[in-house]
Amino acid sequence: MKQIIIVMSYTFRDGCRKKAFKVSTVIMLILMLVLCALPRIISFFDGADSTSENASDVSPDTSDTSDTEKTDRFYYVDEGRLIPGGAEALAEAFPEADVITGGTADISGYEAEIKSDGSVSAVIISEDESTLPHIEFVTKSFMSGIDTDTAAKVLTDTYMSGILQSAGVDSSVIEIAKAELEYTSRFAGDMNVSGYIMGILMTVLTFFAVYYYGYGVAMSVATEKTSRVMETLVVSAKPSNILIGKCLGMGLLGLAQFAGILVSGVVFYNLLVPEGFTLMGMSLSFDAFTPVSALLLCLYFLLGYALYSVMNAVCGASVSKIEDLNSAMMPVMMIALLSFYVGYFAAISGAASSAFMKAATLIPFCSPFVLPFRLLNETVPAHEIIISLVLLAGTIAAVTAVSIRIYSASVLRYGKRLRLRDSLRNKTGRS
Amino acid sequence: MKLEVKELTKTFGSKLAVDRISFSMNEPGVFGLIGTNGAGKTTTIRMILGIMSSDSGSAEWDGVRIQRGTLSFGYMPEERGLYMKNKVIDQLVYFGMLRGMTNVKAMLSAVELMERLGISEYANMNAEKLSKGNQQKVQLAATLIHDPKLIFLDEPFSGLDPVNAEVLRDLINSLVEDGKYIVLSSHQMSTVEEYCRDILILHNGSTVLKGSLDEIKRGFGATNLVIRTRREDTDRFASVIDGGEDRPELIEKRAYEYEYRIKGEEDAFRVLRKMTENGIYPVKFEIKEPSLREIFVKSVEDHGAGAERA
Repeated sequence: MKQIIIVMSYTFRDGCRKKAFKVSTVIMLILMLVLCALPRIISFFDGADSTSENASDVSPDTSDTSDTEKTDRFYYVDEGRLIPGGAEALAEAFPEADVITGGTADISGYEAEIKSDGSVSAVIISEDESTLPHIEFVTKSFMSGIDTDTAAKVLTDTYMSGILQSAGVDSSVIEIAKAELEYTSRFAGDMNVSGYIMGILMTVLTFFAVYYYGYGVAMSVATEKTSRVMETLVVSAKPSNILIGKCLGMGLLGLAQFAGILVSGVVFYNLLVPEGFTLMGMSLSFDAFTPVSALLLCLYFLLGYALYSVMNAVCGASVSKIEDLNSAMMPVMMIALLSFYVGYFAAISGAASSAFMKAATLIPFCSPFVLPFRLLNETVPAHEIIISLVLLAGTIAAVTAVSIRIYSASVLRYGKRLRLRDSLRNKTGRS
Repeated sequence: MKLEVKELTKTFGSKLAVDRISFSMNEPGVFGLIGTNGAGKTTTIRMILGIMSSDSGSAEWDGVRIQRGTLSFGYMPEERGLYMKNKVIDQLVYFGMLRGMTNVKAMLSAVELMERLGISEYANMNAEKLSKGNQQKVQLAATLIHDPKLIFLDEPFSGLDPVNAEVLRDLINSLVEDGKYIVLSSHQMSTVEEYCRDILILHNGSTVLKGSLDEIKRGFGATNLVIRTRREDTDRFASVIDGGEDRPELIEKRAYEYEYRIKGEEDAFRVLRKMTENGIYPVKFEIKEPSLREIFVKSVEDHGAGAERA
């Protein structure tokens, strides 16, 4: 045990000193800062826009559309006068456009012009089978010409205003009827936008830890082997102690980095995110982070990392040259990637309580990527968590036992890479 | 105390790497494990240390089977390995602590060893900034940091310049004076000859020769004759000696010195008589035992021939 702690402590201190660790920590802190500052940045630009809009409201003289430089040209064809005032409404909504009224006979000419000039568009109004007006937009491509959403809304409003006016409805009532209503969403179930985002974030973070720190473990072991430090190390400590100590050291390093980032995230959130901030009409809430769920999240994070890090350590021990490390890690990374996608797709499909996700909860390689999302988005039955944890812990124990055997056989073998079967069969020193 | 190695055997697949090796050390001193590259020296050491299990046989210290945790031993591997990006003092303390020392004790021991090896000034430098010779001294310090009773040095002199080799010689001498048991693996015969009382010669995993170096040499007899002449007599000496039918076999010709293989003292006196009859008087005339290098080469050749016959 003492040796494990010594190896762990040395690995941790060594990792802290590395430039890659310092750089990655600073980058992640900056990302966290930018993420938390994003609402303020967005609202700053929104504020600037609304300020200019307001300015135009209070001083109509300065917003004379005739003074605006005309960069676009819209041909408006409505021979049946199905939307009275449509051309004028478009001209008002798009002050940068020159709206020209035309006839059906000219459409082919318009199309020829549109083909060669992306700033030209045509708006053709015809009557559909239900006798309602049908709006057809002709643009050079889907990315050029008139903003069809805005134009469709302007013409629809104009059409409705005309109908209501002809029915004798007061113009103030028409204005109220045209107004867009603001909305917020509230969910009676467990799943909310915060839990959804945090769940996906935790899945991604776990994969990041498995990949980044797992790679760190493999690289550290491979470096020790290729630099022949291993020769000195294995006479000083048991291979099992080295393996476990190294994985724990890197795990501690990852945990310390994440803890630092999370703490700074909380600080940045409180300092920078405006009060009452909403996302897609929903306010952010961290209610899903109860002490129990936080503890389970940490546990799955650590166990997930542990499972993959011992396998990565074996990959590091199996190579004689650092250049071979990536190919040696390929099988482990494939398992990690597949398991991550199971968790990720189950999450983005919104199927938090689906049978697929429940099954993935019980697969030890997948559960560290699946459970964080479920824990933050639904009430996971206790028996599922217990079975999942037992299976995961059992798999870690089995994988560690096999890994120690392979690791012990591999660390002093140079030259041709040892085959798995030979590693398991090979008798080495007391591990 | 006593180191006893009994019938250690190891095979890798179909290759017999070490074949029933046995030897013992009954008192402090240096034991020489000699062999060509791939003879099985490192595998033997690894089996003794318990970092590689043997197919059969055992290694015991004072009658107790050697295990990593139960015996304080030091091992300097042939391939030097240090954490290149880490400070020298940090890694020495780390290795000391892995061997059961406290942080303070490991630090004190590291400082003392670095002083003894003349590398104190590099304590806070990364290992990569040190010369190869100094890296080797750091490696040696890592081997000795926990004051082991039994020390294995695998090719300790390779890559050392004469000055650093002298420092290492002094250290090995002082370790022997302190009562340490040292197993020295090398293919540098002069080094082994200088230190070892007992040797074991390995070839292709098999024991070719073993025992007390003095006895082995005595067993080979006084077979070498070294003659140095005056500078002006050098050419004439060669023609006189080479002239007769009973000329001795020349082993090596140095600047003013010749070394011959002789069958016995009679051969030597016949050469001397021939020289004096021709008015050539030697500056040096020495009948001596064969060097370890010759014994080694001859033993390996004989063993190879024996194996081929078998």
